[in-house]
Amino acid sequence: MTPVAVPTMPVRPVSWTRLSWVSWRRYRATLAAIAAVLAVIAFYLVLNGERMRSTYATYLACTPVHSASCQFAWENFRNGYSQPGLPGVILLFLPGIIGGFVGAPILARELETGTFRYAWTQGAGRMRWAIAAIAPGVVGVAVIMAGFGALVTWHNKPLLDSGITPRLHPTVFPVTGLAVAGWALVGFALGVLAGLLWRRVLPALATALAAWFGLALLTAQIRMHYLPPLTTTSLELSGKNFGIDQWWTKSGVRVSDAAINAVLQSIGFQQPGGSGKITVNPGEANPSVDPVQYLIQHGYTQVTSYQPDSRYWTFQWIELGWLTALALALLAAAFWFLRRRPA
Amino acid sequence: MNVLQTDGLGRRYRTNWALRDCTLSIPEGHLVALVGPNGAGKSTLLNLVVGLTSPTAGGVTVLGGQPAGSRAALDGIAFVAQDMPLYRHYSVADMVHQTRNLNLSFDTAYARRRITELGIDGKRKAGKLSGGQQAQLALTLALARHPRLLVLDEPTARLDPLARHDFMATVMTAMADDGVSALLSSHMLAELERVADYLVLISHGRVRVDDTVDNLLDRHRLVAAPTTAPVPDGDWQIIEARTTPSQTHLLVRLASSQASLPPGCESRPVGIEELTLAYLRETPASRAPTLIGATQ
Repeated sequence: MTPVAVPTMPVRPVSWTRLSWVSWRRYRATLAAIAAVLAVIAFYLVLNGERMRSTYATYLACTPVHSASCQFAWENFRNGYSQPGLPGVILLFLPGIIGGFVGAPILARELETGTFRYAWTQGAGRMRWAIAAIAPGVVGVAVIMAGFGALVTWHNKPLLDSGITPRLHPTVFPVTGLAVAGWALVGFALGVLAGLLWRRVLPALATALAAWFGLALLTAQIRMHYLPPLTTTSLELSGKNFGIDQWWTKSGVRVSDAAINAVLQSIGFQQPGGSGKITVNPGEANPSVDPVQYLIQHGYTQVTSYQPDSRYWTFQWIELGWLTALALALLAAAFWFLRRRPA
Repeated sequence: MNVLQTDGLGRRYRTNWALRDCTLSIPEGHLVALVGPNGAGKSTLLNLVVGLTSPTAGGVTVLGGQPAGSRAALDGIAFVAQDMPLYRHYSVADMVHQTRNLNLSFDTAYARRRITELGIDGKRKAGKLSGGQQAQLALTLALARHPRLLVLDEPTARLDPLARHDFMATVMTAMADDGVSALLSSHMLAELERVADYLVLISHGRVRVDDTVDNLLDRHRLVAAPTTAPVPDGDWQIIEARTTPSQTHLLVRLASSQASLPPGCESRPVGIEELTLAYLRETPASRAPTLIGATQ
């Protein structure tokens, strides 16, 4: 009856080679589903990208540049492709959807169907099983979405070249470059953790997507402050740069919008409150005076804050960096719960 | 070697103790029946043994001192959970291949042979098999690991009598061929009487009986006494008493097989089912702590 202390028998772990088959069998169906979804979207992007290129080429080839027909070619290109529309919305959500779709069932389905009692009592053990189940998802989701981001970059090139949609634009930045992989990773990690906590697939997926969307909204607010914005007094901001704010100064001091309004009203212009942008009120007199020129002539300077296009990759690395750190933290939390959690 | 040893083992879920003060030592080579009413803590004990749950109090070691849930423990124990969880959309062959790949050693030839014998098509989805076939597949996957301890949680609860018989026959064959020890929880007292040679009875989260069936039968008697119940002494104790107008029927536990009963009493041996029922009927209030472990 006295407990006898026996040294733990040295038992070698089950090899990763064996576990890789388990992973492959597990991910096979998911991979096929993702491939089908991405194939449809990729088909659309290639088709639309080619059409956009041909429309843009027509405009570029047009001479003389200021002729009405060239203006028409430009309008044709801009109106046809500048609005991202429904496909753009789908693209924005795609990293989260793919990540969550892959991540949420990994632990939730085992817990929901009771198969964890089989899976976690095999010789490989719970943690090794979990690494084999989760690690390929991490790599797969990141690589697939990074590849997909490259396709989106290719698709968007005419819009970038023509200065219509900068790469830093909130509808483009998170679905291209490296950030798209980071966003997919966070979706995946949220799915895994929510799956463990909910123990059911659907609520886990819903929670992961909601959390992911909230984070995406929040990030759109802070992204343009990863580095302090640059300012310029040039009136023409290159379309590739991403403008953040505009205001007027006089003698180096910022002038309030109300003060500018008062100045303009005195010469017959009205400025809708809020932004520093000036619009001519059509009903008002004095159309021969350009309000911007008027202000400049009277010692005012227009200042624009912006993020230059050249910071795109810096920002991509910053976003990938913190998203990856967040995803790893979420996965670490999942492993911690998994080790401790009573089944 | 003890295949299972627990020392003051307890598991609490929030404020509820699912299992408490569980002290057991079960030698190898037995088919151990774990019985008890629903919610008595049987599944909790099994989950602790296979490492799915960790103890709140006390300790549990398996296979001669390996901590439950350690790599050595996982390697030597095969667990078939209640309702035979299988990946429903996996083919039978995939389930076999997956189990092989999740373990250090796996007897694929044995698994294939068993599946053929059972008349199961390897290409069928596991979820499409009949209840009996699913149970046999889950058992085959467990046995093909050639475990030293087989743990079965309510394995026959959902099976028809024939499937139940076949299932237990497979377990008994493996025990005879492989020398595997088995620990199974069940409600089927009649069935356990046939197969089990060691009994652990848990009720209200505590161990009530923990001994070989032979010892238990040796130490318990059904006694018919005159109307007034005799007062128990150090030699024997009353587990259950029923009074009729003419006689009192007692189930008593003897301190030793030679213990003497008061004069005027007629005694006869008791069956394991009867004995188990008597212990299950005990109310928590009537528990005498000294009843546990006659051989200890």
